[in-house]
Amino acid sequence: MRAAVALFLALALGGCGPLDQQAVVLALEPGWSAEVAASDADGFGSPDGLLWTDGWLYVADEGGSALRAWRPGMRATTLADASAGLASPEDLVRDAAGNIYFTDDSRGGLWRTDRLGRTTAVVAPGEGLKSSEGLALSPDGDLIVGDAPGHRVLKVSPAGKVSVLIGADSGIAKPESFAFDAHGNLYIADNHDKILYLRTADGRLHRLIADRAGFSPESLRFAGRALFITDSDHGKLLRYTPEDGLEVVALFGGRLANVQGIAADDRGHLYVSVQSDLLGRKGYILRLYRRTSRV
Amino acid sequence: MEMVIRLSDWLYLMLNGIAGRSWLLDTLISLPLDNNLVKAGPIGACFVYAWWSGGGEADTRRRRATLLVTVASLLLVLATTKTLAHQSLQPRPFVHAQQAWHLEGGKLVETPRLAYRQPLNGNVRSRYEALKRGEIEQNDLVSFPSDHAGFFFALSLGIFLAAWRAGAIALAWTAVAILLPRIVTGMHSPLDIVAGAAIGTVGLLALQLVARHTRHWALEPLAGWTLRHEALAAALLFFVAFESTNVLTNVRDLAGTGQDIVGHVAGR
Repeated sequence: MRAAVALFLALALGGCGPLDQQAVVLALEPGWSAEVAASDADGFGSPDGLLWTDGWLYVADEGGSALRAWRPGMRATTLADASAGLASPEDLVRDAAGNIYFTDDSRGGLWRTDRLGRTTAVVAPGEGLKSSEGLALSPDGDLIVGDAPGHRVLKVSPAGKVSVLIGADSGIAKPESFAFDAHGNLYIADNHDKILYLRTADGRLHRLIADRAGFSPESLRFAGRALFITDSDHGKLLRYTPEDGLEVVALFGGRLANVQGIAADDRGHLYVSVQSDLLGRKGYILRLYRRTSRV
Repeated sequence: MEMVIRLSDWLYLMLNGIAGRSWLLDTLISLPLDNNLVKAGPIGACFVYAWWSGGGEADTRRRRATLLVTVASLLLVLATTKTLAHQSLQPRPFVHAQQAWHLEGGKLVETPRLAYRQPLNGNVRSRYEALKRGEIEQNDLVSFPSDHAGFFFALSLGIFLAAWRAGAIALAWTAVAILLPRIVTGMHSPLDIVAGAAIGTVGLLALQLVARHTRHWALEPLAGWTLRHEALAAALLFFVAFESTNVLTNVRDLAGTGQDIVGHVAGR
């Protein structure tokens, strides 16, 4: 009996394994590689929105209430943090002048951190933007902002003039993320109703992917001609092209299941942020790339 | 441990090598996975046989006491296997056939891929097809230890302790019809099965041992009650046999609904 109990305990302990191993990434297409590019050990909290530009990865660090900049092999640099009033930075873009604009789903508003590190409100939360979500820079240089409680998509000029691009009557429940293609069409992720919308350059709104089981778009990013989509509800990285439709590239499980933001570097390598523990400020930034060719 | 895993992988590859060659063979092998009657009907029948088969009142009382403790141990075993499975992310062998990485020391390390022969028919074939389309059940990421092995091994062993002939049939059915197909189709590795069976054995024996101390004030009076109220006891026995066919799925669903109701009433 004692031996049986010992075996029971050995199996139980062996089964638990080190906590670090409780995570898995599955590639569903041949030829992909995946690696941890950075983690909370590199100076992040729990990352959300990502943006790659000029050799730097900019991170909306939701768990750490900060904006960070990081490049491979370095520790993250903090551009702005809670001392500047950041609460839950969600998504971010950078303009030609080097200003970082970001949304904040707890504090609301649209914010700008300039090259000198000064953070100011472009649209204050009191101006009808109680919780801001997705953010994109339009080809015209306007900022496209998701107003979650208002179920609207707003257009904000760099000077701060606000207008409604898509009103609440459109049916969009939660404009979580945006991406423009090369023709000026705007893709909109609604992760409440689990719909990918397309607003064509002529202003018409289409439900591109809806009522699809196992699909809830979180973040959008173009890499080449393909739109890459993260799905935090189902732990997926997907790819959409008009020719091939929607395809699953990779699945994420365990501590890596909560995939959030996505960015693509100049070589077409994808960066995906993972919130392992938002309150505990734990997370990862994963890099995925094709071994043989660009994505 | 590495040698055990290698042995397990070798056994899995040998057994999975049977799959994908004959539609008829794969259909028959998949039948206990896809059909609860085939899977657990014989085990339920053995349980009912053991319940009624005592030679006299004292023997029947002993058998029923053993079976009652066996039923209680199923909850313990299931809770143990489920808890351990969710502590340890071990995808099913057919998932391991994909290119995969796991976290090790803060880095993603490529997991050695397992060869996989897809069955030509059955639910596992559908699950593998769904995986290739990017649809995965969370259950498919947590296969160690096998809850089926723990549950049915404990149940069959309990029947064996009560009535050895019926128990021998139940154990044989568990091994050949329930557990072996799970390896052949890539649902579990031999290590998952052995670990589950070990938990089932230890859980059952430990509870039988503990229950001996309650013999006079709980176990025997309860067994005696089933003799005095045969009709009611038979009705309750129906529930036990019914639930044993689906690893207490309905009971677990009911517990989840109960939790939802409590949460709803509490305004959460």
